[in-house]
Amino acid sequence: MAKIVIIEDTEKIREELKTFLSRYGYEAVALTNFETIIQDTLQEEPQLILLDINLPIVDGYFICREIRKESDVPIIVVTSRDNEMDELMSMNLGADDFVTKPYNTQILLARIETILRRVQGTSVRDTLVYNGLSFNLSNGSVTYQGETAELTKNEIKILSCLYKNKGKIVSRDDLMDFMWNADAFVDDNNLSVNVARLRKKLEGLGMEKNIETRRGLGYILP
Amino acid sequence: MTLKDYIADKMPFLITNVILFAAVSGILLLLNMSGAIVFLIFIVWFTPVVTYILVEFIRMGMFHKELSGTLESLDQKYLVAEIMKEPGSAEGRLLYKVLQESNRNMHEHVKSYRERENEYREYIETWVHEIKTPIASTRLIIENNPNQVTRNIQEEVRKIEEYIEQVLYYSRSNNVSRDYQIREVPLPALVRNVIKRNSRDFISRGIAVEINAVEGVVYSDAKWLEFILNQLIGNALKYTEGPDGKVEIRAARNENNLVLSITDNGIGISDKDRDRVFEKGFTGENGRKFGASTGIGLYLCKKLADQLGLGITLSSEAGAGTTVSLVFPLGKAA
Repeated sequence: MAKIVIIEDTEKIREELKTFLSRYGYEAVALTNFETIIQDTLQEEPQLILLDINLPIVDGYFICREIRKESDVPIIVVTSRDNEMDELMSMNLGADDFVTKPYNTQILLARIETILRRVQGTSVRDTLVYNGLSFNLSNGSVTYQGETAELTKNEIKILSCLYKNKGKIVSRDDLMDFMWNADAFVDDNNLSVNVARLRKKLEGLGMEKNIETRRGLGYILP
Repeated sequence: MTLKDYIADKMPFLITNVILFAAVSGILLLLNMSGAIVFLIFIVWFTPVVTYILVEFIRMGMFHKELSGTLESLDQKYLVAEIMKEPGSAEGRLLYKVLQESNRNMHEHVKSYRERENEYREYIETWVHEIKTPIASTRLIIENNPNQVTRNIQEEVRKIEEYIEQVLYYSRSNNVSRDYQIREVPLPALVRNVIKRNSRDFISRGIAVEINAVEGVVYSDAKWLEFILNQLIGNALKYTEGPDGKVEIRAARNENNLVLSITDNGIGISDKDRDRVFEKGFTGENGRKFGASTGIGLYLCKKLADQLGLGITLSSEAGAGTTVSLVFPLGKAA
């Protein structure tokens, strides 16, 4: 579980961000003592830092520079200042990424994932396993009891969304949101067709129990 | 200034001379002076008067010609008082001083307005920056409490954000300092971003999106472009109904331009409204029917596009749909 330190002076954002990251399986620590923020951060030995720019006592640029003297921990600058100068400045001071408020939380999450994966080398999460079905994310194929099938781009997205929420019902709307966020602009009919095809492929491999439809609610990978 | 005008100007002077001469010659004739002497006096009297008037006219003409030449060559006409040569005549010098004084006063006046506008703009920028913090926390609270209620709130928050963005770009659109940066902007990513921003609207209203031949790069400011495109796609969505609704985004490369067009099959715009859609505050029939129109969106798009050097055109047929095209000029090398 990756540890993320949040350096942010707005209490509400700090707390909600902490809850949000915890929900997605990160150990989130929100530091509040801005007098000793640099030492405190280094002491936590985080895998990643989310850093605001406008802070009391010292600003984010200063913190960024000081941390860089001691550590190579990835830093994502999160700020509501939205201009090129700030972005350039952050990058020059050694930040790894720059996200502007009010950020899309899914995008923030994706950036965190990308950076962590890059820092930690190729991750083991390239292959997902579910009830004997192994799902290879790098080449988009599924294998069940030695039989392999290739999935289309949309099918991969549907399966990975359901996998991420396994055991939970995913509403059609949420599934659509996920697809659209991943550049697959499918409409309602397309989605039904894609789910049906995916189901058929999995059945073709001999996996009888796969995606279930909950009428009026959505889909679930039980 | 014509000679006639000038003579009319000098008329009191001439009439005074003529009356005086008539009086003098009358007295002389009563004293039995010969006509030849009266005529001689006439010559001696009027030759310098006429010569003086003619010389003055030529001098005035030259001065006037030079002044209008200077005025002609100036972009900012009000600068003429700074540049013109100080006239030689007492009357001219007086006017020159008055002109300079009034000019200085006008400059001060303009300056105070300019400062006021800048201050206001800075305030807007700060305000936009500050309101982003509570919006960011609202977003996170929504994210942490996923249910139908917060999902609806999220949609409203997104709208608030769009209005805020509009305020920011509105205040920037008037600025001459131009805080945009021309870079290479890949079209596919730009279009995908904007579609994603509007994904909730597309999905919940069952409107399909079709992307055709959108490829390559344009040279422009990515953020401004995204704002413009977002307004246009937002409009397309607003006036289109599901489930047969469709928004198509298409790019076409011509010899010397690239046209990015957004076409919807929505309610369209009536003939009498069509030519006025880029006017500030114009809402038209659709605005009255749908209510959610401010008449700012397209006006702002046009203004920003003008600043970026892009063309923007709209064609529409009532009941059939609307197409808005952004025209990116291409250089010879591109």
